[in-house]
Amino acid sequence: MTRPDTRIIDGETVIDREMTETEHEQFLLAQNEAKAQAKAAADKATARQAVLDRLGITADEAALLLG
Amino acid sequence: MPNEQTSVPLFASGEVLTAQNLNLSAGTGVPVFATTVTRDAAFGGTSEKVLAEGQLCYLSDSNIVQYYTGAAWATVGPATSGALVRVGGGTLSTSTTTFSNVFSSAYNTYLIQGNDITVSASATMRLSISGSGGTTYSSNTINMTYTSATVTGDTYNGSGNFVIGTPQTTNTGFEMVLVSPFLSKATQAFNRMSTNTNCWQSYGVDTNAASSVSCTILMPGAQTFSSGTINIYGYANS
Repeated sequence: MTRPDTRIIDGETVIDREMTETEHEQFLLAQNEAKAQAKAAADKATARQAVLDRLGITADEAALLLG
Repeated sequence: MPNEQTSVPLFASGEVLTAQNLNLSAGTGVPVFATTVTRDAAFGGTSEKVLAEGQLCYLSDSNIVQYYTGAAWATVGPATSGALVRVGGGTLSTSTTTFSNVFSSAYNTYLIQGNDITVSASATMRLSISGSGGTTYSSNTINMTYTSATVTGDTYNGSGNFVIGTPQTTNTGFEMVLVSPFLSKATQAFNRMSTNTNCWQSYGVDTNAASSVSCTILMPGAQTFSSGTINIYGYANS
């Protein structure tokens, strides 16, 4: 499987090359984490909007109430 | 031969180039020396120029330009010491860009500044340091759009990176202060970022006490950097 490219900058030297296996593992770890966090944020936003819809108010109006 | 010139000669077609002409040209150029030792040995000997005020030189070992005051050599630049000294940087590319050998014993605290960052699709940009390969990072972020007073907060506990924020497909700027990445201690991060539509602040810690010499900025997905310049500076310890 072809791994994605990465850029390495050391002083004035710039090298563009394919990620090593270790670098790719770290990248996949970050990628999976980002996906999970994006899903959690989307779920939270959906739940928040559902509550706002039931109350019939906007997010700004809810912030005013809670502030 | 002193360095002060009284004219800037222009040769006419067919004119004879004399030794005097050549000495004036060569003698007032900027000679390049490996070290201060070879510099000092290069003047005043047989068939060598006598060192005089205004003489310039370039030193390869320290990458600096110097001038002679008549009594001592002084550095023109670039600055090799100061309150804030650039230690690395460059142009972001692909999904990950690593800045190697930027952290050292010379500084405890670093400023990482990014400008004109453009990404192929919006997603959360992150930063990792080389000494930490696990999930020992924690970040808290707060962000607001410029059209709403609503503040949104997120927490990233047990993460593999510091969270910088979410750049847009148009230009984004950020600056992060990293405290003690090279020291064998936990590393703290203090970051702020602004895009065309929203602003972010994030605070984080990497509890891994391993020493780091490099850092990587990444977009953890199919997104890539279309542009972006990073400059990394060390804060003087005293």
